[in-house]
Amino acid sequence: MNGLPTPTAEAVTEWAATVQSTSDKILRRLAGEYHEDEWGFDEEFTETVFPIFEFLYSKWWRVETVGVSNVPAHGRALLVANHSGAIFPFDATMIATAIQKEHPLPRWVRSMVLNWAFDLPYLSFIMRRLGGVAANSANLGRLLEEDEPVMVFPEGSRGFAKPFAERYRLQRFGRGGFVEVALETGSPIVPVAVVGAEEIYPKLGEAGPLGRLFGSPHIPITPTFPWLGPLGLLPLPSRWRIEFLEPIDLSGYGPGSSADRSLVFDISEQVRDAIQQALYRGLVERGPAFA
Amino acid sequence: MSGKRILVAGASTKWGSELIRALLNEPEVGEIIGLDSSPPTRDLGSTRFIEADIRDPGLSKLLPSLSPDIVVHCGIVWYPEKGRPSRALHDINVIGTLQLLAACEKTQGLEALVVRGSAAIYGSGPGAPAFFTEDMARRLPLETRFQRDIGELEGYFDNFARRRPEVVCCMLRFEVEVGPGLDNAFVRYLNLPVVPTRMGYDPRLQLLHADDATGAIVAATLNPVRGPVNVAPDGAISLSRLLRLCGKTTIGLPPLVSGLINRRVGDFVGSADLYRDGELLFRYGRGCDNTRLREEIGYELAFDSEGTARDFARATNRIPQLFPAPHPGSPVRSVER
Repeated sequence: MNGLPTPTAEAVTEWAATVQSTSDKILRRLAGEYHEDEWGFDEEFTETVFPIFEFLYSKWWRVETVGVSNVPAHGRALLVANHSGAIFPFDATMIATAIQKEHPLPRWVRSMVLNWAFDLPYLSFIMRRLGGVAANSANLGRLLEEDEPVMVFPEGSRGFAKPFAERYRLQRFGRGGFVEVALETGSPIVPVAVVGAEEIYPKLGEAGPLGRLFGSPHIPITPTFPWLGPLGLLPLPSRWRIEFLEPIDLSGYGPGSSADRSLVFDISEQVRDAIQQALYRGLVERGPAFA
Repeated sequence: MSGKRILVAGASTKWGSELIRALLNEPEVGEIIGLDSSPPTRDLGSTRFIEADIRDPGLSKLLPSLSPDIVVHCGIVWYPEKGRPSRALHDINVIGTLQLLAACEKTQGLEALVVRGSAAIYGSGPGAPAFFTEDMARRLPLETRFQRDIGELEGYFDNFARRRPEVVCCMLRFEVEVGPGLDNAFVRYLNLPVVPTRMGYDPRLQLLHADDATGAIVAATLNPVRGPVNVAPDGAISLSRLLRLCGKTTIGLPPLVSGLINRRVGDFVGSADLYRDGELLFRYGRGCDNTRLREEIGYELAFDSEGTARDFARATNRIPQLFPAPHPGSPVRSVER
């Protein structure tokens, strides 16, 4: 490197070091030398793909995040959000990205994923490595007992597959299983309102038989999907706003209260109402989706 | 005789003889009686061996005359083999257990019954709990023949436990055992030159080390607790990482091909038509909670899932690796150049 001017030599060395460390990392991973936790969450993998989410967060959807400090920095927490996406659950990834980027003490948030998603090839283990866990109260309870932050989407597939015309209208919140677990584990509930995610794949219809062919309960039809093939999977660049609301503290009720159906429904409604109000507010704050 | 009299059914099986050999060194054990249809292949020391088939109705005369304090049933067979199809397995597992339970009914002074069962009763599924606890046994439908067999014999076992409340009935549900030198279908699968996997799936597995498999049943025999107990290691490991640690070449099979090839592979590694169980396990994986084993039986596991994988890889990895791992502490080499 003697003949080269110094800045170039430095750049070359730096570049070589980057290549070296990247290739070392790849070789190390190929040899199985990496860590995954008991749930299958692979932090190194998540950090490696994180730049993609970071790009989507700041450049593609220009996400504005409000109230991120409402997510506790320590201990268990149950994040409850509205669900949408129709094709990919980008809302979950963006909530996790918002906490990583904006929170003073960022943590990786686990998410409860619909069961059938773990039946899909590739997606099943990619989601697991990113911290996805099959949605059932046993898993949720165990994660919260381990003092992890977890996000749930009580609308479930009703929210995920809702048509474009019904965007930002919260579907019903199931049986309130998430409230039961929150009461049992004494976890605070942080309602989260995601504005913008419901415009990325405007779902017009449903290709039911096609979906069954692939073993998925639904395949959406959007203006671009499936007409443009893989290109139709590109989400629209709507503007996003994610609002974390004040945590609802449930520790006063005690673990026995989870059997009280009316209490469970009341809290479930309270959470649902808070999210719906925040959605209306957020829609006004954000303004037009594509501007 | 001061110590307890322990009868081990299935004494010639791998785990039966492991248990007996470990019990020989235990001071609280008085006499060990081994029972199996074929003589043991390993040296069982001072064990009194009786050649008898547990499927034989004569067992209900034999067992009471031996008056054991503890009966351990190690005769449940997991893997059908060539010449021992799953129908024969049903006979051994279900009918055999039923006869043994009937014989136990007639045995006076029986203190405990320990059965070496399988965690296969939980099944595997996309929406399954990541860690099955003992109360989740029939949460997923019993899909395969082996699962139904295990379900059926656990049913008989529960009935027996209800009828004879003075007997401590302990059902151990074992996860897949892996260990250097162990010979079972899963280990043979891992030892294939090219390991076939299901394309697009990477199950999360728990690997129980062979040492822990023996240790746990010894601990359960000496300190049995009531009801089912999962014998599973801490943590879990994905199949892909396990195979990488072992330095294996893998091939991902697409759905239509995998059915055909899996059957062949099943024949080859000696799991014959158990392949359906393996198929589900290799697609969705399974994890079990081991709190009861650790806290109630009081057994401390020597290996977690990753430790088992590493121990196995160390022992079996004879072929040089294509990409040896750089030392974790090694500095970036290009800077030195």
